[in-house]
Amino acid sequence: MIEGANKIQVFEPHSSSLPPLRPYFKDFWRRREFATELSKFSDKAEYLESKLGKVWLVLNPLFLAVIYFLLVTIIQGGRGQGGGFTTLAHILIGLFTFYFAQNTILLGASSITSGGSLILNQAFPRALLPLSSAISAARQFFPTIPIYILIVVGGKLFLDDSTLPGLSANYLLLPILFVLLVITSFGLSLLFATMNVYFRDTTKLLSYIMRIWLYASPVLWQPDMLNGWYRVILYLNPLGPILSANSRIWMACCQPPPNLLAVYFGHSFHFY
Amino acid sequence: MPSASKVSLPDNLAIRIEDLSISYKINVESKKTLKNAIMRASKGERVRTRTVEAVKNLNLDIPHGSVVGIVGANGAGKSTLMRSIAGILPPTTGQITVNGRISTLLALGVGFNKALSGRDNIILGGLAAGMSKAEIESQTDSIAQFADLPEGFIDMPVRTYSNGMYSRVAFAVAVNMTPDILLLDEALSAGDAAFKEKSFNRMRELCEEARTILIVSHALSSINELCDHAIWMHKGKMLASGKPEDITEQYLKFLNVGELPSSYEDL
Repeated sequence: MIEGANKIQVFEPHSSSLPPLRPYFKDFWRRREFATELSKFSDKAEYLESKLGKVWLVLNPLFLAVIYFLLVTIIQGGRGQGGGFTTLAHILIGLFTFYFAQNTILLGASSITSGGSLILNQAFPRALLPLSSAISAARQFFPTIPIYILIVVGGKLFLDDSTLPGLSANYLLLPILFVLLVITSFGLSLLFATMNVYFRDTTKLLSYIMRIWLYASPVLWQPDMLNGWYRVILYLNPLGPILSANSRIWMACCQPPPNLLAVYFGHSFHFY
Repeated sequence: MPSASKVSLPDNLAIRIEDLSISYKINVESKKTLKNAIMRASKGERVRTRTVEAVKNLNLDIPHGSVVGIVGANGAGKSTLMRSIAGILPPTTGQITVNGRISTLLALGVGFNKALSGRDNIILGGLAAGMSKAEIESQTDSIAQFADLPEGFIDMPVRTYSNGMYSRVAFAVAVNMTPDILLLDEALSAGDAAFKEKSFNRMRELCEEARTILIVSHALSSINELCDHAIWMHKGKMLASGKPEDITEQYLKFLNVGELPSSYEDL
């Protein structure tokens, strides 16, 4: 309803697909609080009726990780690394990170079409709706990290698993990786949100794409399992390098190889 | 989005519309799906669209403090014009210059989430309207008071509200944000007779504070009562502009429905 902080506003013809970018980004930044609060209120509404409330934010990916762990263990005939605990830790961190990207993309893709009345009756930068979805996805992602740390610490204490890492300065790379992941996921969500405006079955197709994407990402398998040309899957996958780098830091405290990071920087800015 | 052009506007004007035309394309295909797009591409066909010219060559100056009523039959372009003034739809040609903060009530409960309480929705509605959280929180109580809901309802989920109660909250949010320019589209029928009186009084207060109000309504008696100027739109063009009584009379003659009391209520 109330538009623009400036007193005089001029509305001139522009392509409906691409508004003037400078005022758009200015307004986008000015109205960022709307995206944050919309995300908070949407989450509040979603879990209002649920007994466990926001605990589901952690339980959902946790249960899925356990299911995938059982699946992988059965397929491998019980020959998991480090007595299986390392595999569980790899799946957990991979799945938690992948689900952040998936939620950002899936929620963001439908955010414009599901915001029908808001879009028709309010003037605001439309990209705030996918941004709000990305914030919701981040609010679901962050509580999973302490859970992961608790599980790993528990594993180190009770299973005496020497393959699990201790403290390292390489953990400082994680926020950088997360920023790159946000850029990639938000960029992809804008792309799919636009596609969904023109082709309303995009979100349906996207749910299958995301499932294939999960299997093609180093979540249920470790990057070292790929040999030769199969490694191309890792580099072509927009989320492949980050999931691989993320796993290397969390699992082995290793710095990701520079070529992996270079590919990932490329993907991030390309998709944004 | 508002452009950063350096355009001056005479001090007495709130809105200047220059040579405004708005047209948009409607996809005539039954379903906009990827499957249909692929099928169409395989046959070498293009997307079938129809262009709707909603507003044609409109020129209008609206001074500060005026209350302008817009009348016209369905499809006249009234709502499209309001959306364009609010900056939602870009002009196809021409230019709109607006001097002041705009508050709109183009549909009831925009941005509302029915699972949340009335109080939460006031905040959500205000944020959707462009206010900051601090701004809207400082006014939540007065907005809730204006909506005048039965005891305790303001903290209950909006899905438990009647249509009238829902409309009252939405209306209260729009008129209590101290806008310079208020755009109302068919929002005058919110609530019961007592609330209507309260809404009219609030709008009179806004007029006295030199706020500018644009009202789209089929309730011609409200247009006559509230407005000091009216325009009649038909098929995207402005057919007449003048005193509300003259315009509504011309409009009634055009509609050929006579001057019965009911004619002034909802056309």
